[in-house]
Amino acid sequence: MKKTALVRVALSLAALVLSALPVFSGELDSFKNERGELKISGGTAHIPVMKEAAQKIMTVNPEIQISIAGGGSGVGIKQVGEGLVNIGNSGRKPTGDEIARYQLRVYQWAVDGVAPVVNPKNRVTKLTKGQLAEVFSGKIDNWKQLGGTDRRINLYTRDEASGTREVFWEKGLGKGQISSAANVVVSNGAMKSAVAKDPYGIGYVSVGHIDRTVSAVSLDGVTPMIRTVQDGSYGISRGLYSNTRGEPSGITKKFIDYLRTSAGKAIIRKHGFIPVR
Amino acid sequence: MKKVCIAERMVIVFSWAAGLLLVSSVLLIIGYLVWNGHESITLSLLFGEASPLGALLLKERVFDGLFPALAGTVVLVTLSIAWAIPVGIATGIYLAEYAGVFSRTALNLVFDILSGMPSIVVGLFGFSLTVFLHRHYSDAIKPCILVSSLALSFLVLPYIIRTTQTALEGIPRETRLTALALGATRLQNIALVLLPRSFSGIMSGVILAIGRCAEDTAVIMLTGAVASAGLPRSLLSPYEALPFYIYYISSQYSDPDELSRGYGAAIILVLLCALLFLLALGIRKGVSHVAFRRP
Amino acid sequence: MKKIRELLAERFFLLSALASSSITLVILAFMVYMGLPAMRGGGLLQLLFTPWDPFQGSYGILPMIVTTAAISLLSVAFSLPLSLGSSFLVTVIAPQGVGGALRRLIQLMTGIPTVIYGFVGIFLLVPVLRELFQYGSGMCILAASLMLGVMISPTMTLFFCDSFDRIPRSYLDAADALGASRVQKLVHVMLPSARSGMLMGVILALGRAVGDTLIALMIAGNSIRMPGSVLDSARTLTAHIALVIAADYESPEFRSIFTCGVVLYLFTMLVTVAVRAWGRTGGEQR
Repeated sequence: MKKTALVRVALSLAALVLSALPVFSGELDSFKNERGELKISGGTAHIPVMKEAAQKIMTVNPEIQISIAGGGSGVGIKQVGEGLVNIGNSGRKPTGDEIARYQLRVYQWAVDGVAPVVNPKNRVTKLTKGQLAEVFSGKIDNWKQLGGTDRRINLYTRDEASGTREVFWEKGLGKGQISSAANVVVSNGAMKSAVAKDPYGIGYVSVGHIDRTVSAVSLDGVTPMIRTVQDGSYGISRGLYSNTRGEPSGITKKFIDYLRTSAGKAIIRKHGFIPVR
Repeated sequence: MKKVCIAERMVIVFSWAAGLLLVSSVLLIIGYLVWNGHESITLSLLFGEASPLGALLLKERVFDGLFPALAGTVVLVTLSIAWAIPVGIATGIYLAEYAGVFSRTALNLVFDILSGMPSIVVGLFGFSLTVFLHRHYSDAIKPCILVSSLALSFLVLPYIIRTTQTALEGIPRETRLTALALGATRLQNIALVLLPRSFSGIMSGVILAIGRCAEDTAVIMLTGAVASAGLPRSLLSPYEALPFYIYYISSQYSDPDELSRGYGAAIILVLLCALLFLLALGIRKGVSHVAFRRP
Repeated sequence: MKKIRELLAERFFLLSALASSSITLVILAFMVYMGLPAMRGGGLLQLLFTPWDPFQGSYGILPMIVTTAAISLLSVAFSLPLSLGSSFLVTVIAPQGVGGALRRLIQLMTGIPTVIYGFVGIFLLVPVLRELFQYGSGMCILAASLMLGVMISPTMTLFFCDSFDRIPRSYLDAADALGASRVQKLVHVMLPSARSGMLMGVILALGRAVGDTLIALMIAGNSIRMPGSVLDSARTLTAHIALVIAADYESPEFRSIFTCGVVLYLFTMLVTVAVRAWGRTGGEQR
C-alpha cells in the first residue's frame, strides 16, 4: 500500500516535471546553444519588458550577456542605424527616410497609448483635448482655471529624442505648441516619478507605465487604459517597436522572436502593454 | 572702544554661524541618506536573490542587486588608474627633473587647464571620438568600459602628474645631490633615491585619483555606462556603475524597493569615497590643494 | 649601455609629457573641428544669441549660457560667506583642537560625490522649495545653486585656510607685538595679505560650479526657456550636453553641443590663466 503510494507520488511528480518543462523553458530553448552579447538601447517605455525578457534569457543561459540602455526612440533608431547596438527600440514607427537610410527592419511587438498624467492628489482628472492643448502651450497656467487648487501648473515634457513626446504632440496636442517653460525629463520612468512627486505637475507617459503613483487624465470622457486603447476609443495610441539594421540573426533574431512567443506576450501583458497578434 | 568690541563679537558670531551652517548642512545630507537608507544595507542589497558566494564566484547572476554596479565601478577605476599611473608619473618626473623653465611653465599651464576641464567636456570628447572612429575605422569601436576608462584617465592625469612633480620638487637639495656625488647616474638617482622618497606623496595623488574615478558620473554616462548590463565581460562591453546607478534611480525608480536600493547605493558610494579620502589624508597631510582642482 | 638606458628613459619621460599635454590640445581641436560646420559664417553668433527650439530650426544656446552664469554666480555668492566664516573659525577663532578637527571634517566633506548632492537635492530640497515659495515645481535655479553652494564650500574654505597659513609668521608676530586681539589680527593683517590667494580660491570655485553637470541636471528642471527668476526651471550648458548628446550625429542639434563644449573649454582656460596671472602678482606682493 505504502509502496504504491510512493510510486504514485513519484510518477505524478515525473509527469509534472515533464509537462512543466516545455511550459517553463520551451520558448527559451532556442537560446540554449547561443553565446555572446546583445546590446539594446532606445525607447524608455520598452525598458521594463526588455529587462524581464533579458533576465529570463540570461538565467537560462549564462553565456549570453544582454545590456539595456535608454535614451529615447530617436537614440534607439540612430544607434542601431550606426551599428552601435544590435536592437534599437522606438515608441514610434521609424520614418520612411530612417528605414531607407539604415535598411531598418521594423518589428512591432506591442500596442501602447500615451496618456496625460497628474499627481494622485490632484482633483483635476478630466480634460477636453482643447484644454489639454492650452495647458501644454501655457495658455492655461493655473489649476484653478480647471477647477483645481490655486497653484501654477508645472508642465513636464520629454527631450527631443522621445517617441512618446512625438506621439503625444501629434495625436494628443494636435501638433500644438509645448511651452518652453516645461521641465524636461529623460524617460517614461522619470516622467512618472516626477509627476508622482509634484502635486501640481502634469506630464504624459506610456499607458503601460501608469500605476497607483500617478493618475491618468481622461480626455473628452475617455479614460486612457489598456482596454480603451485596445478598442480604439482612446485615440493617442502607438506601437512599440524593436528595430534592427538589416536582417537580424543569431541572438538578436531569437530575442525578437522570443517577444512574440506566448511567454514573451505574457511579459508584455504583465507590464501593461497589449501584445500584437 | 566699545564699537570695536561689538564688531569683534560680530565677526566671532558670524564665523561660528558659518562654520556650524556648513557642517550641519553636510551632516544633514549624510544623515538624510542614512536615515532613509540604513534599512536597505543588507546582503540582498548587493546580491538580490542570488547567493553571495555564488555571485562572487561568478556562478550566479545578480539581477536585483548592486553587485554588477559595484563590480563595474571597481573594474572601471582599476583600468583608468592603470592607464593614468605610468604616463602620469613619467610626466611628473619629466616636469620635476628634466624640463627647462619654458617647457615647464607651458606644460604646467596645459595641465592646469586639463585639471579644470568640466568632466562632461571630456565625456563629450570621448563619446564623439568613439563615434567618429566607429564610422571611419572599425565597426568594433563602440562606447564601452575601455572608452570610459580612457576618458577618465585623461581626467585624473593632472592629479598624478601634479602630486608626483611636487613630491619630487620637495626633496631637499642635499638628498638630491648625495647619490649623484657618489657616482650614480641621473636615472639611478631618480629610480633609487628620489622616487622612493616621494612615494607617499605620489600615493596620495593616486588615491585621490581613484576617488575621482569612482565618483564621476558625467564622463561615464556619455561613454558606456548603461542601466542594465550585468558584470562587465570584456573591455568592449557596456557596464553598470555605482554613481550612474544612483543618478538613474533618482529619476526613474519604479517602486519603493528600487528607491531604497538607490539610497543604499548612495551610502555605499559615500563610504567608499570617504574611505579613500581618509586613506589619502593618512598617507600625507596637506592634500587640500590638489583636492580643490577637481572640476 | 648605461648611456642608452639613460637616454631611453629620458625619451620615455619626454614622450609621456608630450602625450599627456597633447590630450588637452586634442580635445579643443576636436571640439572645434566637430562644431565648425555649425559655427561657420554667422553661425557662431547665431548659436550664441538665439534660443533653443529645434522644432523651429533654432539651435541657440543663449538660455543655457545665462543659466550657467546665474547658477554658478549664485552658488559662489552662497558659499563665499559660508567659507569665509568657516575659514576664520578654523584658523583663528575656534580653540586649536576644535579648529584642527573641524579642518579634518571639512577635508572629508570635499570627497562627497556630486551625484549624492543631486540625489539628496531631489528628495529633500526640491519639495521644501516648492512649498516654501508656493511656486513652480521646486526644481529651479535656486535649488541647484544652493546645493552647488554646499558642494563647493568645503573646498573654498580649505583654500582660504591655506592662504591664511601662507601669511609670513613675522606679520602675525608684529600684530601680536602691537597688542592686537585675534579678530583685529584677522581683519587688519590676515585678510589683506591673503587677499589674492582668496580671490584665486573664489575663481577656482566658480570654475568648478560652472563645470558641474549632475546637480543642475538632476534638480534645475532642464527647461529650455530663458529663465526669468531664480525659481524658474532652467538648463545649464553641461546639462544641455548630457541631454542632447544622443541626438542624430549629423543633426544641427548634435553639432551645436560642441559649441557648448567650446564655450566651457574656453571658460576653463580663462579661469586657469586668470588664476595663474593672479598667483604671480600675489607672489610679488608678499
